[in-house]
Amino acid sequence: MRTFFPLSFLLFSVFVFSQNSNYQSLILDKVLTENANAVVRLDYMDIQLASHKSMKYTVHQVVTVLNKQGRQHARTHVRYDKESKIQRIEAFVYDRTGKEIDHFKKKDFNDVSAADGFSLYVDDRALQLRYTPVQYPYTMEFKYEVETTDTAFFPPWYFLSGYMISTEKSHYAITYGSDDIKPEIKKHNLEDLDITETETPGKIVFETKNIPAVKAESLSPSFRKIAPRLSVRLKKFNLKGQEATVNNWKDFGIWMDRALLKDRAVLNEATVQKAKDLVKNVTDDLEKAKIIYQYVQDNTRYISVQIGIGGWKPISAIDVDRVKYGDCKGLSNYTHALLKAVDVASYYTVIQAGSQKVDFDPDFAAMQGNHAILAIPYNDQYYWIDCTSQTHPFGFVGDFTDDRKALVVTPEGGKIVKTVAYLNEQNYQKTKAEYSLSAEGNIAAEIDITTKGIQYDNRFFLERKTKDDVLKHYKRYWDNINNLNIKKYTFENDRDKVVFKEKVAIEASNYASKSGDRILFSVNALNKNSYVPDRYRNRKQDFEIQRGFLDEDEFKVSLPEGYDIEALPSPKREESDFGVYECKLEYDSATNSVAYSRSLLIKKGAYTKEQYKLYRSFRKKVASADNAQVVLIKTKP
Amino acid sequence: MKLLILACVCFIISSSLAGQETQFGKVSQTELEEQFYPLDSTAPAAFLFKKRATFLRYFSDEGFKVVTHIHHRIKIYDQDGFKYGTKVIPLYQNSSSKEKLIGLKATSYALKNGKIEKSKLTKSGQFYTELSKSWNQKSFTMPNLKIGSVIEYKYELRSPFISNIDEFVFQHDIPVKRIIASMNAPEYFNFRINTKGFVKVEPQIELSQGATIIDHKPDRSSNNSITKGGVSKSFYTNSATLYTSILTKYKLEDVPALKEEPYVSGIRNYRSGVSYELSYTDFPDSGRKNYSTDWKTVVKRIYENSNFGPELKKTDYFEDDIDRLITGIKEPEKKISAIYGFLKSKVKWNEVLGKYTRDGVKKAYKLGSGNIAEINLMLTSMLRYAGLEANPVLVSTRANGIPLFPTRTGYNYVVSHVQLDKSSILLDASDLYSEPNVLPFRTYNWEGRIVKKDGNSETISLYSDLQSSTRIYVNTELSETGIINGKIRFRYDNHAAVAFRKQYFETNEEDYLNKLESEFGQIEIDDFEVKNAELMGNSPIVTYAYVLEDGTDLAANKLYFAPLSFLKKNQNPFTLEQREFPVDFGYPFTESIVSSIALPEGYRVQNLPESSTIVLPDEIGSFEYLISNTKNTIQLKVTTKMNNAVVAPIYYQSLKEYYKKMIEKMNEKVVLSKV
Repeated sequence: MRTFFPLSFLLFSVFVFSQNSNYQSLILDKVLTENANAVVRLDYMDIQLASHKSMKYTVHQVVTVLNKQGRQHARTHVRYDKESKIQRIEAFVYDRTGKEIDHFKKKDFNDVSAADGFSLYVDDRALQLRYTPVQYPYTMEFKYEVETTDTAFFPPWYFLSGYMISTEKSHYAITYGSDDIKPEIKKHNLEDLDITETETPGKIVFETKNIPAVKAESLSPSFRKIAPRLSVRLKKFNLKGQEATVNNWKDFGIWMDRALLKDRAVLNEATVQKAKDLVKNVTDDLEKAKIIYQYVQDNTRYISVQIGIGGWKPISAIDVDRVKYGDCKGLSNYTHALLKAVDVASYYTVIQAGSQKVDFDPDFAAMQGNHAILAIPYNDQYYWIDCTSQTHPFGFVGDFTDDRKALVVTPEGGKIVKTVAYLNEQNYQKTKAEYSLSAEGNIAAEIDITTKGIQYDNRFFLERKTKDDVLKHYKRYWDNINNLNIKKYTFENDRDKVVFKEKVAIEASNYASKSGDRILFSVNALNKNSYVPDRYRNRKQDFEIQRGFLDEDEFKVSLPEGYDIEALPSPKREESDFGVYECKLEYDSATNSVAYSRSLLIKKGAYTKEQYKLYRSFRKKVASADNAQVVLIKTKP
Repeated sequence: MKLLILACVCFIISSSLAGQETQFGKVSQTELEEQFYPLDSTAPAAFLFKKRATFLRYFSDEGFKVVTHIHHRIKIYDQDGFKYGTKVIPLYQNSSSKEKLIGLKATSYALKNGKIEKSKLTKSGQFYTELSKSWNQKSFTMPNLKIGSVIEYKYELRSPFISNIDEFVFQHDIPVKRIIASMNAPEYFNFRINTKGFVKVEPQIELSQGATIIDHKPDRSSNNSITKGGVSKSFYTNSATLYTSILTKYKLEDVPALKEEPYVSGIRNYRSGVSYELSYTDFPDSGRKNYSTDWKTVVKRIYENSNFGPELKKTDYFEDDIDRLITGIKEPEKKISAIYGFLKSKVKWNEVLGKYTRDGVKKAYKLGSGNIAEINLMLTSMLRYAGLEANPVLVSTRANGIPLFPTRTGYNYVVSHVQLDKSSILLDASDLYSEPNVLPFRTYNWEGRIVKKDGNSETISLYSDLQSSTRIYVNTELSETGIINGKIRFRYDNHAAVAFRKQYFETNEEDYLNKLESEFGQIEIDDFEVKNAELMGNSPIVTYAYVLEDGTDLAANKLYFAPLSFLKKNQNPFTLEQREFPVDFGYPFTESIVSSIALPEGYRVQNLPESSTIVLPDEIGSFEYLISNTKNTIQLKVTTKMNNAVVAPIYYQSLKEYYKKMIEKMNEKVVLSKV
């Protein structure tokens, strides 16, 4: 077996690099071009796994770019680092007839820092080429070979690489030196595809042809959720010199603890004492944790620096304590160390952060995630804290890490746990206002807005903004009101209850429009929801509402003297699978005012593509009702 | 022949300044206790002290360098100010020389139990990154930052690129309490000094005698052209003489933060600062060498640069193609349009700006892609080759700022100009959708400079006289239930055509429609058709049918609706109370809407908005709203005109009021009642 291995590799590389197809793009199969900005003509990866710390992969990609939006799909760079070396790299560009118009050799690539845009420093680098398309379509052929000792991030496989791109031919092969390093493969969303899987001793090959492009539609699930793909892991792997043998998440957690976290949570005596002093006379663990978290928030800041294994291993708590900054790993570990100093348990947690919820797969223990937070166990539940935020309340993580499965590293090993969810009515906003309308059509209003949950997350930052920014926010928020003048605002942030209150006084001239003897105005001046999802003539995909929310509004509108009501919008109640809308108006002649109440509930859920039209029609009704006009007419003398 | 050259070391200067300046490390308790910046309580941070001393210094085996000493002291008032605790310094390099940063020292100070706690920046907080072939980067982040901290750092920058001296920046997005800056150079270096911004800067000039070393330069042959890539580097031998050194000092106090405002073309234009551009050197024995002094010299130097003039003279690479292209064409306009169209399809812009070619016109022509200079110099020489009077025009893009003073670096772009018998045309072939006299938006920035064949130059206004025009015709039918069915036709001319083509071609049609539908307040579009989209020089025409379900309010046997329907504007773009900077639309524009609305049967007009006209002072702009009705229809004609590309801040209140009234008018409603 083993001796056979180098020979098979040789045959392969000869096959790959001598292949000389004609990549014309004048005539392409309609199946591939429909909804596509680019066509992957060939996506070929051949992985040679010699051992758990020696891997080589050969990539050959040919992408025909049909238009400007497709340009991003034609690869122009390959990353490398200390552990991985780019052995060969070469690219060709062909015009629509398949004629070669450009050729980039290794020396033509620029060696650049693989800066991610937010880190102060990363030591990863990339070879990059710069190419300006002179016409569409064009075809980019990209070939490279990488040798690496890192196997922790085993290259996964996407048969389709994104929305709006099709695949003509896809080939993924893994050759492994011996059965004990045979990779474990999990298939996702392959049900409807014609995929050939060939397994021979020491080798697994997946091949497929002609996968049409999938259109990106609004509210579609993230591409990863629907992508036909393979995730691949090694039971025994190497991460920058740290070796691991992992059967499940429990093992994975044990390994992480030992290889990446151990001895990192040590603090000097003075700091330990300081932490103890902070919680002096406090007995409850949760209270202690709150105090420590507040201390971390007040004294540290987020700075991302990624060097070598430091991309995965936190800098030590002692170092963070000295410089008072760190990245997510360093700050989580530092907080963990401080909590340890006051005998409060907390667990380092690895998670995929972002407003799109992405779960760790409970049955497939492999390196993943892009963020670290802390889980604090208390009374049979977990409290989550994000130590990179200097402003979030204790236990509140917002939409960055909510409601998703993450890896919690406990003393008993790793566990997959779902983080706290903020759903539907938990994401609450109450707007209570009194406003008066003058005969000139001007309005003056006093408004109280209370937010909770994700709506709190979207609002509490205002507290720290400059006046200019706050004014800009309100001018955007009430963009339905022209000539808006913010007279006064105050905020109250209840971090304990996670409730944010805004008190705002506004004025606006000519809010209402006049027409002869009439004044017309939209009664819902202060929380008008005009969102209507895009229309699709032929919706292809299911859709998702990730979190949902509930808005409740109560306005009292004082009307000008000398006018009668000519028309008042009728009360409405719209109920659907996606939520409920309700609004009511009542005229009170004693005070010459209108009482308006409204509520809108949008429910989290996964909905079918057939329901999309109904959702759109529901939102249209809401938008229309929110725009309903009150008509006043001058009282006849 | 041996050449004598002088070099100087100017230590006297920094010591003479030292008496009055803030000393490194002497951060006071008061500074640490300060809770907010007294003159701007919203500032997240402020420069308490900002010192820069730049001088030219001779290094025995490397020649002259620009040496800059930096010393900053920054106070942090809140968490948003933490970002000033991280500093990133880009360092340029070319194949033979590089900029270097040395002697970095930094400390952060915080109050702990009333005592000053110092934390020094160590190696672990410093990073050096090789970003690319031309750029490296030194960065550092301060340890132990707290709200209320003061940070301080100093370092020295050494740059061999003596003709490129970084701008002295006097205004930032946070306030500056005190600035001391100086520039010191021997009399043999002459600089053009450009001052800009609203903050008044008055330099003090002092002359002093410098200690000197005289060096003998062995050979004159290396007569380098000095650009950002060229370095003057020679070998010298020692001797001694006296020279005068010119020291210019700047002192400023309480400089307010520079805040962004909408519709400003490049905030850089308004940021206070001073830039030094080397205009000539005049060493005792080697005579005067010009870099830039007046426009004539500037243009001449650009023209003589090997990546400009000589590139313009090359013709052999395209001769055959152009010969074929223009055979039989006599009219100059047709020649222009043939060449312009040909080049646009032949060579694409690689998104690199520049007044100088990078790979050269020949290579760009062969590859089919090039930078701005390659494309537009090529265009100019093709037009010349075809017998037209064509010249390149130097331009500073909007992002680059306005070239008020003669500088080489002030220009970063080039377009082409053709003089015809009675008219002239500006052309830019880098943008696929541009047309003759309709340039890409980035070039609309005050004046450009035409460079003639003899090296002379003259200014030309870049702001277009051509009005961007959008003409809209709408025919709608209103149903009894308030649903509007309509047919619409848009015709775009000049800049509007460029803007339309850009939007239309850069998305696919379905996305374009979705965008239109949601932008126009939930209309649903059918029978969408575009004419002339690809026919450059012809006006694109868009037609479609639409349905609007909730553009109307129905109540008590009455229908209420704004007759402009979804074409009305709803928001005043000008929301700020005051404005310091001009409002820059880029080009003048007209939009006209002619609309006819058929009323549902059984309804009659009960109330119609009044026709009216709103004008801006000095014929800057006007809005005309004309409405009338017959028994069954309403006729509407609305014309908006902005005659100036740039509106001065003194008109801001008028402009704001004008938009307010326009929007009110557009939102006024027609009332129909059932008969």
